[in-house]
Amino acid sequence: MVLFLSFMNLFRNFRRTLAILLTVALGTGVLFSFKGFIHGVLNQYKESTIHAHYGHGQINTKNYRENIYAEPWKHWINNFSEINHYLTQQSEVVSIFPRVSLPALLKSGNTAISGAGQGIDATKESHFFHGLRIASGEPLTNQENGILLGIGLAKALGVKPNDSLTLLATSVDGAISEATFIVAGISETGSLDFDNRMFRVQLQAAQSLLKTDNVESIALGLKSDKEWNHFAQAFESHFPQLETTSFAVLDKVYYQHSVDWLHAQFKVIQLIILSIVLLGIFNSVSASVLERKQEIGNFRANGESVFDVMRLITFEGVFLGFLGGIIGITLTYIVMITFLNNGILMPPGPGLTRPFYISFEFEWHMVYVSLGLSTLAAFVASFFAGLRVANMPIAKALRSI
Amino acid sequence: MKKNYLYQLKDVSFNYQLGSHQIEAIKNVSMDIPLQKLITLTGPSGSGKSSLLNLLGLIEPIQQGSIFFQGEELSLMSQSQQNLIRKFQIGFIFQQFHLIPVFTVEENVAFFLARQGLANAEIKKRTKESLEAVKLWEHRQKKPNELSGGQRQRVAIARALAKKPNVIIGDEPTASLDQKTGREIMDIFKHLASEHSVSIILTTHDPMVQSYAEKSFHLVDGILKN
Repeated sequence: MVLFLSFMNLFRNFRRTLAILLTVALGTGVLFSFKGFIHGVLNQYKESTIHAHYGHGQINTKNYRENIYAEPWKHWINNFSEINHYLTQQSEVVSIFPRVSLPALLKSGNTAISGAGQGIDATKESHFFHGLRIASGEPLTNQENGILLGIGLAKALGVKPNDSLTLLATSVDGAISEATFIVAGISETGSLDFDNRMFRVQLQAAQSLLKTDNVESIALGLKSDKEWNHFAQAFESHFPQLETTSFAVLDKVYYQHSVDWLHAQFKVIQLIILSIVLLGIFNSVSASVLERKQEIGNFRANGESVFDVMRLITFEGVFLGFLGGIIGITLTYIVMITFLNNGILMPPGPGLTRPFYISFEFEWHMVYVSLGLSTLAAFVASFFAGLRVANMPIAKALRSI
Repeated sequence: MKKNYLYQLKDVSFNYQLGSHQIEAIKNVSMDIPLQKLITLTGPSGSGKSSLLNLLGLIEPIQQGSIFFQGEELSLMSQSQQNLIRKFQIGFIFQQFHLIPVFTVEENVAFFLARQGLANAEIKKRTKESLEAVKLWEHRQKKPNELSGGQRQRVAIARALAKKPNVIIGDEPTASLDQKTGREIMDIFKHLASEHSVSIILTTHDPMVQSYAEKSFHLVDGILKN
């Protein structure tokens, strides 16, 4: 009967109930959309990071990343064919990107500069990775003797697309190898150090210079980042001499720290929103409760305890919070999938080169959290509003206007 | 203290604060209120009759003196014991009715019965009996705002009666009603006191109401006058 009365009380003053419901709905809607955009920002940022350089993760021989070797190629992966065969059997694996690093001397005319290069499967990588902005020329794809240069390196060498240059590298047996490449394109990441040293050539060309069939690392593209843990566990049990590392660890300086920093910011903003919602609801519920002092006095006069009255009032608050929350979430969701469906253009995130659209992304846990918070806020607001009236001397409450 | 009295008051005083002033509403009142009678507390406005009624109804704290309810001293009781007395043994009727606007007449009467923890069948039985007693059974589906002032007061009486209390306390229950309706209400009270063995204590300064009283106490400036 108390529950029924609490529910019926929602209809006693339609305008007031509507005002409270709108307050709750607005607050919940803001929280819900904010959570949706946070989710969108983080997901877009994550996707951009994955497609910038590392993929979803990378395979190396065990402890390779932690150690510095005088002859690192001795610790490279020597059974790529076997691993490649295994990886192609895994349903979650979409792309396999074998890589070698290629420290080399680049020579153009009389200028020679050392660079930190990479041999990659450029055709496959060009479909998956889009972290490099091509300042001039074209990306490295299937050009057999093509080379992609960082903008600083190209400037220092004085080369432009379609110019040729010579690469001198020390092979794994200690001999000097040499090959000529044509500049396919010049890239820019925004990182001066990287742009001054980076170059990329085809994997086979790099392996030929290094005189090895081994690969240093294998970057992977999965169907979803959620599948990484499951994949990594199965892979490492199958290849115990190898280890897997997710992109979040590989790019810890930029990605993980940025995510942690964004999370901390979002929490503060969320707290501010929640405080505003709480105050709004408290204000509306207080007005509603204070108007009913006589009625509450009557309940107390008829033997209802402070606890009973508080239960009645907080039930009302919970109903209002829950109902307002559902209205707010529903309306916000409709607005998000109609008017804001294309997302909002954001500038490039830390460590990224491309601007990206953040769009509202729905997840059920956002509904539970927003609804839970709005209901909790209404409960807390009605609790404190009710406490004052329920503890009022009965005769005074009855005398109230 | 004797249990054959409904209330016994010994040197009861009561003050309340009005701004910076302390008002002595009741001054050393001692009285015995008998069982199962229609009793009125009379006196001019500000004489302390409402304050005294509130003390009898346990809705004002006892500040000074002793009040015994059926032999038990109220000031020695805990809040929860006092809640139980108000829930089961005292019925209230207010000048402003204090009906629950979102409930129908029937639900208004049934609500406090449900809060007493009675079974559904018993709630229905008592609701019907009490609404029939005040001749409002046919209006049971109406909301309070669809009733006249007299009908609302009769709902309040039915609500108090349905609890089957030992005493019904009414603070000027006919003050907002016309004489004819007021007389109808008083007839109901008289019937309740004689047929249902309920004690009725009413405050009033209406001679019509006083004419129904089996015993009357008169207060002037917080002092009991015989």
